[in-house]
Amino acid sequence: MDLLNQLETILESDPLIDEVGLIHPSQFITLSKECSESSNSSADGAFRPANTKFWNRDHKLGISTEILLPVCKAAKSAFMDAMEQYKTHSDLSVNKHEDKNMVYPSSSCQSFESEVMKHSRALLLLSCDLGTAWNARKLVVSKKQQLPMFTDELHLSALVLSYSHKSEQAWSHRRWVIKMIAGKYSNLQQIIAKESELVEKIAERSKMNYRAWNHRCWLVSYMTREQMLYELKKSRDWAGLHVADNSCFHYRRRLMLGISENKQGDDPSYDVENYQVVKEELDLNEALIKRYIGREALWLHRRFLSLCLIRHWMTTTDGISCHSTSMANEINIFLDKELCLLDPCSTIQDMEFEDFEAQAIYSTMYFLWLIKQIPEFRKIELQEKLKAGNLKNILHKTCPERSFLWDVLEL
Amino acid sequence: MAELAVDKHVKYILAVEKNKDSFESVVMDHLRMNGAYWGLTALDLLGKLDSVNVDEVISWILKCQHESGGFSGNIGHDPHILYTLSAVQVLALFNKLDVLDIDKVATYITGLQNEDGSFSGDMWGEVDTRFSYIAICCLSILCCLGKINVEKAVSYILSCKNLDGGFGCTPGGESHAGQIFCCVGALALTGSLHYVDKDLLGWWLCERQVKSGGLNGRPEKLPDVCYSWWVLSSLIMIDRVHWIDKEKLVKFILDCQDVENGGISDRPDDAVDVYHTYFGVAGLSLLNYPGLKAIDPAYALPVDVVNRIFFSG
Repeated sequence: MDLLNQLETILESDPLIDEVGLIHPSQFITLSKECSESSNSSADGAFRPANTKFWNRDHKLGISTEILLPVCKAAKSAFMDAMEQYKTHSDLSVNKHEDKNMVYPSSSCQSFESEVMKHSRALLLLSCDLGTAWNARKLVVSKKQQLPMFTDELHLSALVLSYSHKSEQAWSHRRWVIKMIAGKYSNLQQIIAKESELVEKIAERSKMNYRAWNHRCWLVSYMTREQMLYELKKSRDWAGLHVADNSCFHYRRRLMLGISENKQGDDPSYDVENYQVVKEELDLNEALIKRYIGREALWLHRRFLSLCLIRHWMTTTDGISCHSTSMANEINIFLDKELCLLDPCSTIQDMEFEDFEAQAIYSTMYFLWLIKQIPEFRKIELQEKLKAGNLKNILHKTCPERSFLWDVLEL
Repeated sequence: MAELAVDKHVKYILAVEKNKDSFESVVMDHLRMNGAYWGLTALDLLGKLDSVNVDEVISWILKCQHESGGFSGNIGHDPHILYTLSAVQVLALFNKLDVLDIDKVATYITGLQNEDGSFSGDMWGEVDTRFSYIAICCLSILCCLGKINVEKAVSYILSCKNLDGGFGCTPGGESHAGQIFCCVGALALTGSLHYVDKDLLGWWLCERQVKSGGLNGRPEKLPDVCYSWWVLSSLIMIDRVHWIDKEKLVKFILDCQDVENGGISDRPDDAVDVYHTYFGVAGLSLLNYPGLKAIDPAYALPVDVVNRIFFSG
């Protein structure tokens, strides 16, 4: 049996394969030994010690690095041929339709379709960003409009993502499938929950994966308020364990913005809840900043949170003159607190460790950024505070290369 | 400081095309059109575009055009807006835009604009601000930007702006230097840069420079030569390029060269590829490195090519 045939047979015989990986030829021996130790009988049909090209057990598929090139070439040419035939055939059947006297056998069409599906599956496992192969599958599946076929596509995409976490095409294929089935066949809320879990699983193995988190952000626009609040709660611990992952914090920002924009009617309890959400995040962020020294993502996250809070005070009290003093008070109290946080951070406690230096730079830049975002009329009073805080000196000391930003503030 | 190994890089770029039997070249085969753009633009910036056979390239490009007007990444593949721009850019490099049926290409691109002003990459509907830039850049080169709804296109891009001043793929998407280039480039080409808070965006962009002098594309990431292009061109377009240390960046790019076999990698001592070779050379061109042609930060084409499109005939 040729290599491509072997691969396709394995894929057909074990539709539950959920992970693919490449194996160096030398690893086959180790794997065989491990298996003969763990399984004591020959009842396990999947166990093929003689095969040093493919490894298939417990719904995992390993492909030898040795055969990668030939099998990829074979899959590509088989797919291209099948696609060619399928297209010619579809063109023919379209023309034949017009000629009502002719009836074209649908069975041959189906066999072309299944060839396209078979070869594109094998090909995509080897060359995951081949858009034409993903498109071919979209074409076939959209003609059929059957839920199991759509589900198969989600499965294949997940399989590709199991080893190629950043495959743009695989992520995009999921979005296409979801848009096709949403509302029609499946419960959208359930799909979103499952997708969110998939991203979390992949993000765990592939740090700062833009494509994965972008997919999760895309889901937010389909979420209910409850779902957004739940997701925010659910990703809280993960964020605390991955403090350098800006993408995860961005996801939380996206959720918070979604929550604040989601207002049904004029229910004031929503405002209170929105404020609470930001406030809690700010507390969490402060705890993390103190625990993990010098993390850029944490300080950038704080910029967003502080800005949200200040904007909240400004909009909720806007236009009501008797409240403007209370707004100024709130902001003043907040800035005082931030200066207290800044103080120990911006002094480099130990020159030997880069973390402290980084903490000093990020904290200083955080505060400068905040000043830039605060409207003009606050600046005069703030300047007094800053003199006391001696921020300009700190800036020159900790990051002289960014000193020019002081002038940007136009204080 | 090391110098740019011009001859080595030219040799490397010309050799990449001939090496077709590695696994890498097989899995990259479908985006050969992008590869052609990277390699050929780099050659032009290095002053060596005359070392390729123009007719061969042009006839191959035309074989990649589809009935719809769009181009695919290689013969036999599906068309996509990504490859359509590369095809048009390469034709512009060779001063061969006249081989195109411009209406046909424009119709393909116009057909990809959605109701909200965004653009899909192809008939399957994935939306991304990259595709907005591509559509706008491509139609500008073909001098028919008026065929799309520019106002809506601009307002969609602005809807992808984040509170940090950056831009993402879709509304609410995380800021990323590559996406920022696309959005800023599209806004520049449509005369809409006044919608950008230049200080705020410049702030985010200049914070991409790390200690080694290299630029990263997002917070907490390692520096990568390709961001010398994405970040730098954006900073130039918003007039904030003096906010980074240019000398350190030049040194970082030069440190990523393979001085023996040619080519530039993402970071020092990594394996080279044609993508990073192009972005390294393009970055150096933006930094006025001596001996290189100047490149236009919005069109991503040599300045003389852009001038030829708009000021000749």
